[in-house]
Amino acid sequence: MNKALKNPALYVLFILPCLILFAMFFLYPIVSSIRFSLTSWNGVSSDPKFIGFDNFVKALTEKRFWTAVRNNGYFILFSCGIQVPLIVFFSLLIAHVKKLKGLYKTAVFLPSIMSTAVIGILWGFIYEPNIGLLNNILKVFGIEPLYWLSDEKYAMLSILITNAWQWTGFYIVMVLAAIISIPRELDEAAAIDGATAVQRAFSITLPLIKPIISVVIMLSIAGAMKAADIVIVMTKGGPAGSTDVMATYMIKYAITNFKYGYGNSISVLIFVFTLILTALYQLLIARRSERIEY
Amino acid sequence: MTRLKKLLPHIVLMAYLLVILFPFLFVLFSSVKKDNNAIALNPFGIPKQFALGNYVEAWVNAKISTYFFNSLYISILSAVVSILIAAMFAFAITRMRHFKISALLSGLILVGMLIPNNALMLPIYLLVRKLGILDTHLALIIPYIANALPFSVIILAAFMRSLPGEIEEAAVMDGLKAQGIFARIVVPLTVPAMVTVFIVNFLGNWNEFLLANYFLSNDSLRTLPVGMVQFRDQYQMNYAQMSAGIVYSVVPVIVIYAILQEKIIEGVTAGSVKG
Repeated sequence: MNKALKNPALYVLFILPCLILFAMFFLYPIVSSIRFSLTSWNGVSSDPKFIGFDNFVKALTEKRFWTAVRNNGYFILFSCGIQVPLIVFFSLLIAHVKKLKGLYKTAVFLPSIMSTAVIGILWGFIYEPNIGLLNNILKVFGIEPLYWLSDEKYAMLSILITNAWQWTGFYIVMVLAAIISIPRELDEAAAIDGATAVQRAFSITLPLIKPIISVVIMLSIAGAMKAADIVIVMTKGGPAGSTDVMATYMIKYAITNFKYGYGNSISVLIFVFTLILTALYQLLIARRSERIEY
Repeated sequence: MTRLKKLLPHIVLMAYLLVILFPFLFVLFSSVKKDNNAIALNPFGIPKQFALGNYVEAWVNAKISTYFFNSLYISILSAVVSILIAAMFAFAITRMRHFKISALLSGLILVGMLIPNNALMLPIYLLVRKLGILDTHLALIIPYIANALPFSVIILAAFMRSLPGEIEEAAVMDGLKAQGIFARIVVPLTVPAMVTVFIVNFLGNWNEFLLANYFLSNDSLRTLPVGMVQFRDQYQMNYAQMSAGIVYSVVPVIVIYAILQEKIIEGVTAGSVKG
């Protein structure tokens, strides 16, 4: 028995392809990123020049970098502060209704399987100042056309709304699955005791789905740190860099402006910020929502 | 009163549904309007005259067919190879008797899950250039395969671990070797998990934009998301035609979703919880 499955040659053969790719596309890039972050290099010439921490000093003292950090922060705030309550609210509603559950679930999930690029194009059309859907709706209420994507005041908000539109339904389906897995008896017992639907939602369902809400928050933070394609498609970081996030700022410098060394220092900073946020999340949120048995 | 109470949640949910679905309808209606002027005059409704020519022009101008098949074959090929490599790895670390090193390896793969892969784009760009495959489809296929590995391994390993040990005992009795157990016993039993992983990988590749945008510059190699963005930039002023382009790229996804929705929802949400 053990003999057949204790076959070192085959074992190596089976793990090797995966390990090689893993080393090439996960481990090596990290090392390479750290190495080049300490150099001044255009990405093409043969001699990266070692300059110590100059790139980091430059990034941390540059206003546009902090604008990008702030925009990542907006992503996080918007998803945790506005999306999460909506997600919980709509999940509770869908779980509560008896008819059309399937329709709601299928429909709200739809945007999340679409390409972010195509969604960005679609919403670019909706935000179009002259013939776009949004300004046409506002016109009905007598509001003058707004330049959603080309006005610094609204550009970031427009992107955040699009992002929320795409992902809210995805999380709703996740939370919904958690709500449905709660044993019915709990809810029924409370109903017999005379608790209203709202009371039951607040004192029974909500406490029981805390772990999944915590997962949603974690995923939103991770998503916020990764955001890039939606910004590139909708505004290219403009107007005047006001909607750049860290990842697009990094791409702008490294690929468009050939400042490869500097770009890598941004990628190291994205790593560091993500690590800090993950640690904070573990300390502040994950610990308080330990698994609940029922 | 009770009737209203019953209706109220549906009214709220229908409003939300409208917010989700109306943008699609808006694009669909716009795609059959003659030009921007026709959209401006009647933004919400169905046009009186259907201008189906937009679809013909978009298909030709946007080279949708080229992009579509590029996307299709890159997405399928990467997803399939990824699953194969991940399945071999998962089999080795869960079913073969080399426990210590297996524990180490599965920890390593788990770490891969935590790495924000957008941040690794620059070194990967460099690597792809060094390999001499920049501006070929391999520049996407190989990174896509690699990127999907941690998730695929975690899901497949969890599934394989749950298979009862008696199965392979019986197989060994019948004289099968390890590779036989893998190919004839474990893989067929793992198909349900593989379908889930395939859907997640396929959708991820199909929708991927960043690498596809920066690693390919030859127009005939482009994938659908990048091609669409480029088409938009070129025909910015012609919204009717652009809408037809959007319809082309959205409809296949909706059709697949309509057929496979249960499996897709299950797979994608499993993907986010990460095993």
